[in-house]
Amino acid sequence: MIEGYTEGTGTAVVGGTERRASRSLVALLGPVALVGALLSLVPLWLGDSRVMMGVAVLGLTFACYAVGFNLIFGSTGQLFLCVGALAGIGGYGSAIFADKVGLPILASMLLATLASSLIGGLLSWIAVRRSLGVIFTGIITLIFSLVFGNLVLGAAGITGGDGGFHIQAGADTFLRQTIPPYYLMLALLLVFVLSHGLLRRSHVGWAFRALRDDEVAAELAGVDVSRYRVYAAVIGAAMLGLSGSLFAFTEGTISPTTYGFAQVDVETMVMLAFGGIGSLFGPVLGAAVFTVIDELIQGLGQLRLLVYGALIIALFLWVPRGIIPTLGDLMRRRQE
Amino acid sequence: MIANLLDGIVLGLQFGLLAGGLTMVYGLGGVLNLAYGQMAVVSAMVVVLSMEAGLGPIPAVVVGLVAGGLLGLLLDLTILRPVYRLHGEARVLLSLLLTLGLAFMVDGFLSWRYPTKALTLRIGGGPVELLGVRMVRGGVVASVITILVLGGLLLFFRKTTLGRAVRSVIEDEEGARLVGVDPQRMLRLILILTGVLAALVAVTRSLVTPVSVTAGFELTVSALIVTVVGGLGSVGGAILAGLILGMISTVAASSIGTVLSLIILLVAAAVTILIRPSGLLGVEE
Repeated sequence: MIEGYTEGTGTAVVGGTERRASRSLVALLGPVALVGALLSLVPLWLGDSRVMMGVAVLGLTFACYAVGFNLIFGSTGQLFLCVGALAGIGGYGSAIFADKVGLPILASMLLATLASSLIGGLLSWIAVRRSLGVIFTGIITLIFSLVFGNLVLGAAGITGGDGGFHIQAGADTFLRQTIPPYYLMLALLLVFVLSHGLLRRSHVGWAFRALRDDEVAAELAGVDVSRYRVYAAVIGAAMLGLSGSLFAFTEGTISPTTYGFAQVDVETMVMLAFGGIGSLFGPVLGAAVFTVIDELIQGLGQLRLLVYGALIIALFLWVPRGIIPTLGDLMRRRQE
Repeated sequence: MIANLLDGIVLGLQFGLLAGGLTMVYGLGGVLNLAYGQMAVVSAMVVVLSMEAGLGPIPAVVVGLVAGGLLGLLLDLTILRPVYRLHGEARVLLSLLLTLGLAFMVDGFLSWRYPTKALTLRIGGGPVELLGVRMVRGGVVASVITILVLGGLLLFFRKTTLGRAVRSVIEDEEGARLVGVDPQRMLRLILILTGVLAALVAVTRSLVTPVSVTAGFELTVSALIVTVVGGLGSVGGAILAGLILGMISTVAASSIGTVLSLIILLVAAAVTILIRPSGLLGVEE
């Protein structure tokens, strides 16, 4: 396993990019503020169009998903193929708590986030306890995704089955206006990126790097590898659940495809792989680029899938580590 | 109950055949082919198009099987090339990512070009009486074909030199190389063979239910789950797991409905994997 990662090709996807992570807080806050400032300009440009702002909110949501997935897969090497399902627990959970149970929106979002965080942690705990490798973790979590999808279809009485349902809660508030959801989601994204950055600078981050670079050595050096894996999954799944639930309230309607495997997991993986698995801003860059690409090829209909497939192949063949780490390497080599 | 069990065997044999192809390629080359279901669907579309072009059902099926084999060869000659340069887990991961990309390309193209096509083969004649149960003739024919093919596969692996060479690579690649077996050539051969198997699954399945353009993802996922439950690399395990999961699926579907039965099937698969990560008949690593 370790041998595979050091070859630096293809699936050195969990490769290191943060070796030179700076320890000063400014070095983290600066770029986050810059990205935030740039992204906060988008409504000036697209703010007139409700449709385009919807696209932008979706793009930010995917960036949030990618940060959560990055924390779980990129930082601790657990291939969670249930991004959509964990986000869906947040989305369906909070919508049901708010609409059918009658809880306040904020409380239902927190409860649903907690649920998805616990389930993510449980999945990780199982994988760690049974010491499942990357592939088996992927298959178990894929099975979990399918079970979730079928539960949503099966419990049509509460979830609305195939057609989904309209969320009553928050219908006449700023949550359904054109601009505010964008800034809410942007704030969430910045908080996520910042938390991921802070985590990586803390002792948890050192443990992440140690276990990713050489799991056996980390274990020998006294890093409790399994504990940090579960931590990462708990935090990452909470991010997925929270962004899924906020998206549900801004969208006002959810259905199985909102959180479907083909719609969410595959796209998140492509975005992250493009930006750079394990890198702090990779998820943001990937989500931005693919949101634009998706808009550009909107007219192609079903052929979009073909374009996506070709992009996946090209990406993993030629830039397996993602754009940000590859560019970072190039620049560093220049300097030296 | 007996009717459900027999239906389960019909389904299970198809699961087994499907997973058998996936598991052979994995055992032999450490390649997880996530475009496997799409290979079946492409072959099915070739059969449909050949029949539309005026061929009879049997020649059309032959054309479909050849197309399946060619797809396997094409896979070996194109996107699997870079995969072969890696080893271990990195190899599995790259192979599954690249074939996933291919699966999307195929799905996208087919649902754009032939959005509503589906392969349905009908066999004339009434139902067949079996153990006092009336079975649909198509299902019985499909099962007989599947059993013959699976038997042929087992014979191929046990009795022929080529089959033994393939098994030697699965068991010990270095050792096989030392006695003059070229693992790369064996892998190409098996990729062609599994392409034909995928086409065969599409054909036998179409005797029971229509195989639509979008069936690829579902076929791949079923094959993957059956493969893992049976034990990666074990053809016998794939058949056993296919039969068990097939029977669970039909019995549960008739007593508690499709959605719940699918959930039960998935949970059963997950539990098996967790209790025995190497699968029912897999080798402990």
